[in-house]
Amino acid sequence: MVRLLAALALPIVVPAIITMVLWALPGHPAEIICPPGICDGTQALAERWNLHLGPWHFFTTWISNAVTGDFGNSWRVQQGFPVADLIWESLPATSMLVGLALVPLVVGAVLAAAGWIPKLLDPLWQAIGLVPAVILALFLAAQVEITYGALSFGGWPGQLRLLLGALVLGVADNALSGALVGTRSVFEAELRQRYVQIAVLRGESTLSNALPNVLPALIGQFRARTLHLMSGAVVVEVVMGVPGLGELLFDGTLMQDFGVVLAATWAFSLMSAVLLGSQALAEIAVALWVRSSPSGVAEGAAA
Amino acid sequence: MRSRGTRGLWGVVALLLLAGLMALAATAPEFLSTPDLDRIALGPGDAPPFGTDDRGISLLEYAAQGASIVVAPALFSGFVVMMLSTMAGLVRCAGLTWIDGAIQVASELVGSLPRLVVILVVALILPSDYRTLLPIGLTWALLAAPGAMDEAAATAGRLGGERFVEALKAHGFSGVRIYLYHVVWLNLRSVIVRQGAEVTMHVVFLEIALSYLALRRNEPSFTHADSEFSWATLLYQGYTALLGSDLMHALWLGLGLVAATAVMAQAVRLSARAR
Repeated sequence: MVRLLAALALPIVVPAIITMVLWALPGHPAEIICPPGICDGTQALAERWNLHLGPWHFFTTWISNAVTGDFGNSWRVQQGFPVADLIWESLPATSMLVGLALVPLVVGAVLAAAGWIPKLLDPLWQAIGLVPAVILALFLAAQVEITYGALSFGGWPGQLRLLLGALVLGVADNALSGALVGTRSVFEAELRQRYVQIAVLRGESTLSNALPNVLPALIGQFRARTLHLMSGAVVVEVVMGVPGLGELLFDGTLMQDFGVVLAATWAFSLMSAVLLGSQALAEIAVALWVRSSPSGVAEGAAA
Repeated sequence: MRSRGTRGLWGVVALLLLAGLMALAATAPEFLSTPDLDRIALGPGDAPPFGTDDRGISLLEYAAQGASIVVAPALFSGFVVMMLSTMAGLVRCAGLTWIDGAIQVASELVGSLPRLVVILVVALILPSDYRTLLPIGLTWALLAAPGAMDEAAATAGRLGGERFVEALKAHGFSGVRIYLYHVVWLNLRSVIVRQGAEVTMHVVFLEIALSYLALRRNEPSFTHADSEFSWATLLYQGYTALLGSDLMHALWLGLGLVAATAVMAQAVRLSARAR
């Protein structure tokens, strides 16, 4: 229930924290976003982003506009272009990238839990996982550019960039090794429990007995890994040239485009809230499943 | 075998690598040398120790400046995580349950958002005078801290927590000895050091990633001054080498520095393993 509430609160809390930090820092927020020394039109920016009437006015105006899908226009990333359109255009690429990157993680986790990936190989996965995403992406991006040259951003080369980006996300920064080792260790710990051993003696399968009890931990791990992939997506999208939300966020930060960064961060917070909410609902479903007595127990009790 | 000798060996490796990186950082020039067009893209054999770039500047200068950017902030970030983890372990042993609850809530909140998204927001709203790796590294450390604290507290909990301390007090040990030696040194050390080493390594990699991304966009990085060059510059030169330029030695140097950082973190972790 706490997770569900946190999921509902997250899209409000994130802009609230940004607002608080902006006003807590020394200097006027407009001058932080657009320092007078290197940027013209600080006053105009303050009025345009409702920064001139205090934090509460800024926050309530921004949230009420965001709910209607109005994030204003981009200031620097694509001047004059509606930020909402930029967000909508970039969402599919990021979703595809993260979704594809989850495939090796899920497959690997299932195989590791089933014992089909030997524990002996763990140091190998961990050594591969030490490679930072930026390095792996650098090599693969160069390979695509060498092979396809100037035409490497559209059509099949563009899709190849997406696939290779997903591969990088799924393998680098301990993503795959974490999924393999994490899932296996959760199962191994559970299979050592006495009730599982008794279930084996009764002729029941270990999986059907252990699964309800390990599912909350596995769901938690899955959410953490998805968040990890979303974080890594920023690096991979920029290096591989995938036009996604991470690339948009990075460009916004680099070019000090406040509207783009706030909107992209909000989009990430919505996705995180969906993940958190899904975890909460899945945990509630598992709890209900565990509470209903298994058919085998009921039959045994009746006999 | 996790013998004392093996752990000691890893400790020596970690110390040597750390000393090497610190020495490199200490020799960093404030500004790069003037370009020398007669010495463009020379290999390590022609311009020791690492060769030159496409402007004839020694790659050693890039390596030294990159080390000076990352060493202090990364070590400080790792230290912050180690301190917070230690506190969490001690709190569990002291039986202050309300702090345990607070750590779990913080962990839930902080872990709800992708870390790099938070880092980029921090980079955006930091006043331009503060745009260095230190605040970014500290943010990363604070994002990593709840997880590290949770693990340290869980380890202390498995030890017996408050009952463990009571049992040792019954043996007549002083509080300082129990908390610092028995709890932290003998039992929490491996977890705390591993978390600190991981955060140190991650902050170095974070700097490389952020600077590399900025280089891809031909924009200044928000992790260091415009006059300084990160290790990402070496990797970017290496990237151009993959596309055909004559700077493959820059790529090898960049990869070597990344590998040295990773090996250093792993060596620290292995040297602090529990027996």
